[in-house]
This record gives sequence, C-alpha cells and structure tokens, in this order.
Amino acid sequence: MKRYSTKGRTGPLTRHVIGAAFGLAVALGGGVPQFANAQEDVTIRMWALTNPNYPEFIAQAAEAFKLTHPNVTIDFQETPNEAYKTAIQVALVGSAPPDVFFNWAGEDSNRLVRDGLVLDLTGLANEPGQFGTTLAQSWLDTFSVDGLIYGAPTDAVTKYFYYDNAFFTDNSLSVPATFEELLGLCTAIRAIDPAIVPIPLGNSERWKMNHYITLLNERVMGNDALRADYSLTAPDDQLFTNPGYVTAWGKVLEMQTAGCFQDAPNATSPEVSRTLFSSQISPMIFCGSWCMSIFDGEGYTDYSLFRFPPIEGGASDGNSNMVVPQGLQVAAATQHPKEAVEWISFLTSPEQGAKFAEMRGALPSDPSLLSALPNATEQFKWVAADMASLAVQYNVIDVEVEASVANAYLDAGVEILNGTMTPEQAMESIRTAALAAKAAMQ
Amino acid sequence: MPGATLAPTVPIHTADKAKRTQYSARVSALILLAPALGLCAVFIFIPAILAILGSFFTFGITSRAWEPAGLSNYAKVIADPIFWTALRNNLIIVIGSIVFQVGIGTILAAILDRGLPRASTVFRTVIFAPMVVSAVAVALIWQVILDPNVGALNAIIKAVSLTPPQLGWLGDPTISIWVVLMIACWQYTGFMMVLILAGLQGIPKELYEAASLDGARGLTAFRHITLPSIRNVLLVAVLITTIGGFKVFDLIYATTQGGPANATQVLGTYIYLQAFNLGNMGYANAISVVLLCIAVMLGWLQLKSSRRA
Repeated sequence: MKRYSTKGRTGPLTRHVIGAAFGLAVALGGGVPQFANAQEDVTIRMWALTNPNYPEFIAQAAEAFKLTHPNVTIDFQETPNEAYKTAIQVALVGSAPPDVFFNWAGEDSNRLVRDGLVLDLTGLANEPGQFGTTLAQSWLDTFSVDGLIYGAPTDAVTKYFYYDNAFFTDNSLSVPATFEELLGLCTAIRAIDPAIVPIPLGNSERWKMNHYITLLNERVMGNDALRADYSLTAPDDQLFTNPGYVTAWGKVLEMQTAGCFQDAPNATSPEVSRTLFSSQISPMIFCGSWCMSIFDGEGYTDYSLFRFPPIEGGASDGNSNMVVPQGLQVAAATQHPKEAVEWISFLTSPEQGAKFAEMRGALPSDPSLLSALPNATEQFKWVAADMASLAVQYNVIDVEVEASVANAYLDAGVEILNGTMTPEQAMESIRTAALAAKAAMQ
Repeated sequence: MPGATLAPTVPIHTADKAKRTQYSARVSALILLAPALGLCAVFIFIPAILAILGSFFTFGITSRAWEPAGLSNYAKVIADPIFWTALRNNLIIVIGSIVFQVGIGTILAAILDRGLPRASTVFRTVIFAPMVVSAVAVALIWQVILDPNVGALNAIIKAVSLTPPQLGWLGDPTISIWVVLMIACWQYTGFMMVLILAGLQGIPKELYEAASLDGARGLTAFRHITLPSIRNVLLVAVLITTIGGFKVFDLIYATTQGGPANATQVLGTYIYLQAFNLGNMGYANAISVVLLCIAVMLGWLQLKSSRRA
C-alpha cells in the first residue's frame, strides 16, 4: 500500500525533475540540435580464446582506440579453448552474440559463413584506412569466401621443434636435416640416458598427434596431393586412397620405435609435456609458435627451434610448414558493424601488430614494424624470418577437413599411439568417415 | 414455521461457502504452483519437446535449415558402435557405483554407527569431503595423481618395485573406464555413507536389545534387523546412484573427454561430441531422446518404489 502512495507522490515530482533537467541541458548545451550531433555510446562486445597476455594486449588497445573513438567501449571476454569452441557457436545462434569474435581460418570460419552467422565485411573493410586496404592479399584470402571478406586475420601460428641449447651442446648433438636424422637423434638421446624422453608428447586432448600427421602427410605426399582429399572433392574410388597416408602413419610408429615419445602419450596432457621441456627434463618438444611466450613466461629461454625436417624420398623438400591463420570476425547480428570493423582494423594496424608480437610473441598479420621491436627475443625473430621464407603453407587437418573426418583422424592418432590400430586400419576408418561426409554434403 | 424456512437455507449457505473455499484453494494452489510449473516448462518440458522434434531432423548447431530425416537418426543410433560403447560404459558406471558406492558406503556407515572408539566425526568429515568438491576439480586432482610422467601414484608403484600400466591409467583403453569409475566412487561414497548412516541411526536400539536377548547378534542382527530397517534408504541410494550413473558427464569430460578413442565415452559425453564438436544436432537429439527414455523409466521406478515404501 505504501508503494502506491509513494508512486503517486513521486510521479509528478519526477516529471518536474526531468523537465528541469531537460531545460538546464538545453540552456547549457545551446539548444536541442546539440543532442542530434552527439555520438551515440557504443559497446563492442568481443570474445576470444584465453591466451597469455591477450587481455593485457586488448586492454591497452581499447584504451588507445578510445582516443580516436571516445564513444566506443570494448567489453572483452576470454574463454578457454575447448569451452570457447562450444560457447561461440551457441552464442552466435542466440539472441545476444558478441559483436566481434575470434575464429580460426578454414572450415571453422567457412561453416559460419555458409550458415549466415558472420557479416560480409567487404564494403566496410575496403574503406580508406580499414584492414582491407592495409593487409596483404594473401592474409586477406585466409578469411575470404568467393572473393568476399568475412574476417580480419590477426596472426598465424605454426609448429617447430624446440630444443635445449645446453643439452645439445653438452652432448654434441646437432639439428637433424632429415626425418631419418631426427629418428637417429631420438636414439642418441636414449643412449645417453634411457630415462630421458627425447620429445614428450601430450596427446590426451588428441590434437597434438594431429599436428604431427598434418606435417607427415605433407612431407610424404606433398601439399598438392592432399588438396582433393582434404576438400572431399576427390572421386569416391580415390578418396584418401593414396598409399602415402599409410606411410605417414608408419612414420609415427617409426618415431615410437626410435623412442622419441614416452610410453603413455595419450595419458599425458599438453601442459605436462610442455613442462617436461621447460623444466629441462626433456631436451626437445614439438610445439606451437605460441609456446615461445609460455616458455619465456616460465623463465626458460635457453632454447632454439628447427622446422619439421623433410623425409628422404618424400614429395616435400621441407620448405613448407603448417600455418594456422586466425583472426576476428563480426557477427551478422551486430548492431554496430562500422565500429566493429574500425576496432578490428585498429587491432591489425602495424603499431598494434608490433605490440601484439611483443606481448604475445606471435606473428601478426601486419609485420611491417616487427624489425623495430626492441624487446623481441632471438627465437621470435628467427620464427618471423622463417615463416616469411616458407614456400608452401597449409592448415592443420582438424581445421581444414570436415568435422567427422577430422574426428576420425583424431581418434586414429590415439589408436596408432596405443597400438590398437594399424596404419592401414586407421586409413580405412578415415576413408569411411570421408565417404560418409562427402555423401552427406551432396 | 420459522424453523421450516430456516432449515434448508443453512445447508445452502454452507455449501456455497464450501464451494467458494474449494475454488479459492484451487486458485491459491495454481498461483503457488505457477512459478515452479513455469520454470519446469522453460527448462524441462519445452527443451524435451524440442529434442524429440529435433531428433526427426538433420541440422547443425549453427545451421538454420532443418531437413526432415524421418527415423534415420534413430536407425543411425542402433547401427552406431560408439553409441553401444557409451551405453555399456554407462551401465558399467551404474553397476560399479551401486556395488562400490552403496556397498562401501553401507560398510562405512555400519562401522560409524557402531561407534568408533574416537574421532568418528573426523572420519565422517574426511570421507564426506570429496562430495563437496566439484567434479571438474576432482578430475583435475586425479589427472595430476594419475599422470604417467609426474603423478604420485606411478611414483609409489615404482617405489615398491611394481610396474604401472604402460599406456597410463587414463590412456589405456582396457582400464580407463574402471579408473574413472574409481574416481567417481572416491567422490560419492561419502554421500552414500551419510545417507545410509541416517537410516541406521533411525533404527530403535530396543530392537537390537530384544534381538540380543533372543541370541541374534553381529551379522545375524545385521541381516535380520539392520538391512530390513534400512531397505527403503538403500533403495533410494541405489536409485540415486543409477540415475547419476546415466546422467554422468562432467567427471568424464574433465578427465578423459570420452577417450582414449571413445573407451570412456558415455551417453552424456557422446551427445556433447555429436552436437557441439561434430555439429550433428539431429543425431545428438536422437541419442538424447534415448537417454530421456531411460531416465523417465528410472524415474517411474523410483516413484513406484517410494510409493510402495
């Protein structure tokens, strides 16, 4: 009852206060047209993967962006890897998707384009000063479909063998030039101490082995031979029938036989495998370019890197590597497409690219200011130079192929390592999945 | 004849009042039930209906086009070996949990009920403690303990000159589901113990005294007095364990994600894999409907047995 009376009393009062405030605003602001000219406050909601130093990078970028866009606020949210993959899909079909979100180039991005959930940015991106006019075409192509731009590439990640400088020097070991020499290196390390695991493999989440097989497939068969299979455009009777696939799985077994991995890679997490290297229990690891910032953050810097070596008799000369471009896309449902594109253009500018490289230790899509970085590590400079020298780049299998085929590859990797499946059986299961996926697509 | 005119009016008045009271009670009941019914509708009934509907279509999580699939998703369920692996794993967890959680819980409860010489509260708290930890935290703790490279369990096993499993506790497909079952038991046995202990403490001591006079002690008393007295509690414990065993998701997902190579896949994680990783929402819905049928059946069983009790 008290509520009603209070409401009754404050109703006219509120009207008076609003009226007075409006009058005051008009008087101070010089009239009603002032309101029409004021820019509307805009909040850009941005979602991305959890990564070391990324929130700090976004925070400084948002502050710098505010200088030229005082009405724009960046609301940033990060989510761990596996959870992010689910969360972003659910959010995009929901009623309040983020305006800007992280995604991987390739099938992950293309599927959202097919489903109409990401905005075609071609027009806005190609306006003067926006990312469509500043980034190299090869980078723009990574998020383009049928000539239309659906995202801004921010950076790319790749994989290298990391090795412990001190261990290699102390034991007179050298960087292998071929895959066969890599096997010899594993044997040599085991000869030094059988308890030392030369290359710890943390495959409990399945994707680590997928990186190996991505590289091995290319090293055995060459990139061109894989395209028709990966895109499921090869004729049914030829789909994933190249004997090179079986050979590639065989190389995994050769690595196991040479003692490269520990006994239980499928029970080892990626984090533990990284720790085995950064704590110098193991002298090598096959790790992403993002691992540099992790190792540096843990205070371990006495390491160098080398590329996955070519295989003797293989179709690839080794001047190639797995490169996974990643970037930012804009939700189709955004209310602020212009501000969203201006924000991602700002993030991909040379200055922010340099900051990104400095803070994240990753290769940005605009590397023009990288040479001027004062705090870049030697390893980072080496990776930047090496990536720029690659003749051929290709994506990782689980990003490139259809989801069920990727899943078959992931499972096969686990079974090969456990010895519960032969390379021939692995390829049979992958081919079965590929044929089913191709049939479903038609 | 004032009495003659008054006599019929009193019952009519009373009947009206009774009707009004009855009507008012119904309205009150509906108003009070409305929030709960609304929540049930939004979070249970509508999603369940959508899942049943969705199981007859093919669509992805981000695709807006639903293509009619008839019964093909259900046919696929029957022909899918991983579905049967997942169902078998659910059954292993259900049966294993009943045997270990309820079994060990009963033994522990009996020990505590008889009275430990000292520190029974400490024992009770320690055994119950894992129950209050979230399944994800439990999974992380056990991942560290079971890690083949740096884990404590392997270190202990090696210290006593034994050999731990070569592929790792969670990496070996032949043992991983049993390891996960043990983790689940470690977490929930304390809850079963407390539940059964509450039942045991409700048994009148006079029964045991009377039985003792008749010569029934120890196991005989346990068999003829204790077990029949806590029959309903045990029934509830078994049903809670069974339903929990079919619903299990978080512990498996955080421990093995259904691996290695589907060896620990259960229906919950398989539905998640199909829906969110592979984008087969229609198929995931069909598996959900199968799981729903199992859950409804078990719920009915629980209702029936509790009514009988």
